[in-house]
Amino acid sequence: MSIAISDVKSQELYCPEIAKITAVKRFTEKEKWFDIELPGGRSLGHQPGQFVQVSLFGAGEAPISVTSSPTKKGSFELCIREVGMLTKLLHKLDVGSTVGIRGPYGKGFDVKSFKGKDILIIGGGIGIVPLRSLINYVIDNRKDYGRLIILYGAKNPDELLYPDDLKLWKKSNDIEYHITVDQGTPEWKGNTGVITTLIPGLDLDLPNTITAVVGPPIMYKFVLMSLKTKRIPDENIYLSLERRMKCGVGKCGHCQINHSYVCQDGPVYHYPELKHLQEAI
Amino acid sequence: MKKYQLNNKQLPSFIDHLKKQGTVFAPHKKGDTSYSFEKVENPNSVVLDYNRTLNSVKKYFLPPREHLLSFSKTDNSFRKGSFKNEKKIFLGVHSYDMKAVLKLDYNFSQGNPEENYLQRRKDSSFIGVSFIPDEFHFSQSVGIPLHDTEGFDIYLEQNSDGYTVKIITEKGEKLIDGFDRVSKAKDISSNHVQFQNKLKYNYNRLPEVFEQSWNAAVWEEVSKKCVGCGTCNLVCPTCYCFDVEDNLDLSLQTGTRDRSWDGCMLNGFAAVAGGENFRETLAERQRHRVHRKFKYISDITGEPWCVGCGRCTAYCTAGISIVEIVNQLCDEYEQNYLNRPAVVGLNAERL
Repeated sequence: MSIAISDVKSQELYCPEIAKITAVKRFTEKEKWFDIELPGGRSLGHQPGQFVQVSLFGAGEAPISVTSSPTKKGSFELCIREVGMLTKLLHKLDVGSTVGIRGPYGKGFDVKSFKGKDILIIGGGIGIVPLRSLINYVIDNRKDYGRLIILYGAKNPDELLYPDDLKLWKKSNDIEYHITVDQGTPEWKGNTGVITTLIPGLDLDLPNTITAVVGPPIMYKFVLMSLKTKRIPDENIYLSLERRMKCGVGKCGHCQINHSYVCQDGPVYHYPELKHLQEAI
Repeated sequence: MKKYQLNNKQLPSFIDHLKKQGTVFAPHKKGDTSYSFEKVENPNSVVLDYNRTLNSVKKYFLPPREHLLSFSKTDNSFRKGSFKNEKKIFLGVHSYDMKAVLKLDYNFSQGNPEENYLQRRKDSSFIGVSFIPDEFHFSQSVGIPLHDTEGFDIYLEQNSDGYTVKIITEKGEKLIDGFDRVSKAKDISSNHVQFQNKLKYNYNRLPEVFEQSWNAAVWEEVSKKCVGCGTCNLVCPTCYCFDVEDNLDLSLQTGTRDRSWDGCMLNGFAAVAGGENFRETLAERQRHRVHRKFKYISDITGEPWCVGCGRCTAYCTAGISIVEIVNQLCDEYEQNYLNRPAVVGLNAERL
């Protein structure tokens, strides 16, 4: 193997764009929502399911899923859980502060191929963050898609994200929305139980239903089992994987699963591609 | 191919001739038993007869640590790291290390071609030198013959009085042009040495072994010895994984975004912020490392990503040998998949 180096057109890969925070909302004790504007209000140009590398000089960089739909123009949204040094500092930022943005990176949901299909969304915990990008895309292109069914599960009512969206989804005649919490509170009137308890009761048009699943690693195994019992064909399942994408451009090696770099081939995978990938689920 | 004779005593003046054309890097002795590629200041300190250098020439294209950006928090400004544009001549490179550079060229060119690597890599010339394999070399088993000249501009093959100089490329011809003490090539009477340490199967049979390697017993066994120090990653000429972190200077206002070599054998390599570690055990990490050298990239490119330099084995703090790992995989493959009674065949006959 020998490559003519001088013929390769190389790219600068690691310079961020300095973007401005235009709105901030606190969802829970751990999660905050940010609206972010690129220089000149330029569109991010992402697909639902893609991620960006968010950085603060001095604190470093981390991969964060875009939570707004590409149909939203002028700015994009992130929902960030405070888990480390960088995210702790991000949580301290307010409107007018700036962050570094690289991306969007990876493969998102192939929304074009979903056209005409029913869309079943299964989101656990902060898995709802990248899925909201897909949900809003479908809502904004409602006539292109069939039923929109959203299953959302959280550990407890205090951890539910997007209060405004949840109200909207509940109210909409166009959305079949089911929510559950692992552990309820005295005030909680809804379903209690893990997210898989919502699956058996669904009435689905099987060959015509696309399922998008995002959640913590432990959730996939059980959701996939439930979907199998429900006879949803593997070809109709898409899921998104969390890994340590340090560079986002397929070089640093941290997100690798077998031959696949999650930052390039994922984070959204068509389940048949993933099924035989060891270490993936 | 043009050939010249370069006698040992002509070597310093040959190096001086090279130095006039660019910055020359060559092996130097370090400590009692180690060698290292260094910038040549004094031609007499260059050692061409060596077994292996601690690190390969990879360090010049992918430095152990580099500034991706310098930034200022005060005004949120930054500028990217700079690359020195200089003509580099690497003298005394072994064939396996040359092959490793060609493999890294692939990794940094495919997908998103990376400026940092490619800018450093361009304007490089390579002068190879023959070597006598020791107990750790096994390049032949991974498809790299002893005198493989692919990638070299000039190849020096040791003979009784010095070196036979083989001009491989036009670039090589230009490098030697004007050096007036070359003479007609002597017949090569170099030792017909062989690689001692060999893989049980030749590289072209390894894909079938690695089809069945996931659940092999060797991973658990080797993890009992392994301490997870990552030395094998650091010395490997085809390992290129890296980490990126920001470092502030004392003002706490300015600093650098730095990338440094990382290793998949280290505990936190595949861990995410939420606490999940996707390769938590040493067995999983060993399996990943060895599969990176023999399967993941190899399935795509058709060649092993191990070059048989023997560094990971020679420098392993726990005495783990990659040759033994692969040979045990071959053994397990034979026992479990080749020597099984042909049940299917017998049944088929009965039917």
